[in-house]
Amino acid sequence: MLWLYLHFPHLLLDHVRRSQPIENALVIVEGTGQHVLQACPLAQDLGIQPGMRLKTALGLAPDLHILQADQQQQAQLLEEQARWLYRYVAHITLAQPDGLWAEVSSLQRLYGGLTAIWQTVEQALAEHQLTAWAALGHTPLAARLLARAGKGECSADKGHIQRALSQLPLAAAEFDKTACTRLNRLGLETLGDVFALPQKELARRLSPELLATIQKIQGTRADPRAPWQPPHRFRQRADFIQEVEHTQGLLFALQRILAELEDDLCWRQQDTDTLLLVLQHRHQEPTRLRLRTTGPEHRAETFMKLIRLKLDQQPLSAPVVSLVLVVRRFISREAPGGQDLLGETQDLNEAWHTLISRLQARLGDQALKQLSPQADHRPEFAWSAGEVKRSKGSGPVNPQSLPRRPLWLLPGPCPLTDTPVAWFSGPERISGGWWDGQRVHRDYYIAQLPSGQLAWVFRDTQNAWFVHGWFG
Amino acid sequence: MSELLSTLLHDARVWQGHRHHSTTQPAETTGYQALDNQLGGLGWPRGALSECLLDASGIGELQLVMPLMKRMTEAGKTVFWLNPPHTPYAPALAREGVGLDILVVIHTEDASDFLWTLENCLRSPVTGLVLAWPGKLATRDVRRLQLASEAGQNVCVLFRERRQAEQNSPAALRLELVPDEQQALKVNVLKRRGSWSGQRCTLAMAHRADIHVQNSPRVVQGPWPVTAR
Repeated sequence: MLWLYLHFPHLLLDHVRRSQPIENALVIVEGTGQHVLQACPLAQDLGIQPGMRLKTALGLAPDLHILQADQQQQAQLLEEQARWLYRYVAHITLAQPDGLWAEVSSLQRLYGGLTAIWQTVEQALAEHQLTAWAALGHTPLAARLLARAGKGECSADKGHIQRALSQLPLAAAEFDKTACTRLNRLGLETLGDVFALPQKELARRLSPELLATIQKIQGTRADPRAPWQPPHRFRQRADFIQEVEHTQGLLFALQRILAELEDDLCWRQQDTDTLLLVLQHRHQEPTRLRLRTTGPEHRAETFMKLIRLKLDQQPLSAPVVSLVLVVRRFISREAPGGQDLLGETQDLNEAWHTLISRLQARLGDQALKQLSPQADHRPEFAWSAGEVKRSKGSGPVNPQSLPRRPLWLLPGPCPLTDTPVAWFSGPERISGGWWDGQRVHRDYYIAQLPSGQLAWVFRDTQNAWFVHGWFG
Repeated sequence: MSELLSTLLHDARVWQGHRHHSTTQPAETTGYQALDNQLGGLGWPRGALSECLLDASGIGELQLVMPLMKRMTEAGKTVFWLNPPHTPYAPALAREGVGLDILVVIHTEDASDFLWTLENCLRSPVTGLVLAWPGKLATRDVRRLQLASEAGQNVCVLFRERRQAEQNSPAALRLELVPDEQQALKVNVLKRRGSWSGQRCTLAMAHRADIHVQNSPRVVQGPWPVTAR
């Protein structure tokens, strides 16, 4: 087995920096806000080091941006990284809060050598604008120690890795504190010195746990790692160090996230039709925007247009501190079928979906309606308006079997005010609705009004006259 | 410059009183021979606006566009109804043979949304026919719509009030619709491309309510009490 460990020295920092272009130095502080945890290169140039007190850091750089570390957020961030890495590697194990393992020995044949894997991963890291220290090891722990010490090299040579491990100082070996001090007092300085000790003595004089750790590093004790399973959803978050007041500021971050979504959908060979965009504000309930496309879609450009429209319609209610894009609905892609040689059918289909999505994004889902007749004798219930769908006809209706009806139906019956000048067919008695309480008992006539309009009028049980439709 | 002018003359966009040009504009037949004859044998212009000016619904104005609507849905082209004044009644449309699955009814809240929607519909290649009830419309907006309709190749019919007949309009075809005797529809051509306007014809529309002209009314004596209302 060969393990690749990726250590993200400042994941949160990378994440914030790619959401928004920032000119000033930026540091991440721990939960209590006392010490600096991570410092961006700009801050490091100013002399700020991780572990420094925040007051000192502020003295060095007065206009410092400060962000508090959030464990939950870090965990989610790490999962996001595992998610894209999953495209390249099958067996991933997370090492919270800032690293992950990938099993690579089984991939060598696929990629054609270790160097190719190494380069693929490095390139992907660069694309995602992330800093990561990578290392290879024959055991998970060996890889982790080397990566965290920044001593990783692209080599699977056992002797080479062993040598590099031996040279690691004890402080880098992640033993617990007391064991570390005791080993130091014994005059041991590197991991190699510890490896050289007889194992029985080590267990007796120090602790069995320490021996277990050493054996795990060396590979003489089993160290199983459960593989991580990617969740079946897409979730990406962008945090803004400077609050965003205009939609334009959101688009920059969205562009990256949508590009990632497109990639992700391409890899899954799936489409989606629902996006959920959550904008978080400092002092308000988050704004939740649901974006729907009429058809399955995967292109970032289309999503971007829809989001732009939606945001134009709905100005920001408050400055935004972070945004989250979630996709939970995935639709497997259909093979393009029923398409002619020039692909024309497909294009029109797509154009239809684009148009309807655009209209829905601006006008709201309720503004667009598709009509269909319903099986009911009462005129008000003989039709329904539903959501717009691209469906192939619901089967041919025999037109002659339907009764003669006006093309216009009034929203509700209107009292008849003029005496009709001519009467045509009628009466047609419509009586029904005893089953649901919406009783209708009317005699319908077709009549012409003095204005020349042909009306569909009825008389109800109280002998009152109403217009219910126009023969347009 | 002269080339530009000759193009304009050829397309019959500049109207010359002494010569009757047959236009080369694409058009869709109305389905009414009498009306087509009055429109130079063409019909509804494609890629241009048409206006129908009428006082009140129920005089056969939908029946006028029904043959076209039916043809469009049969060809798989989408038909949009934008801000109709009443509910288009689905059973009646189905009876006429209109494909309801590609008929979309849109309601917009304000004028800017209306124009935006109409423009988008006109520019899309999937649209076959747009029926729109714009309410008030500035000449500037009609011009804008005219440009949008030129970008697409579909028929757009605006239904407006009859008193707007006096205002000029950039629409390519303007028809005034007046109810006539025996439930017929009188169509006055107020404007059309490439020729004189002023033609008029009467289209029988009684079939829209299954009224047979020769028949005396089927209600022998109206149930209408003479004293009522």
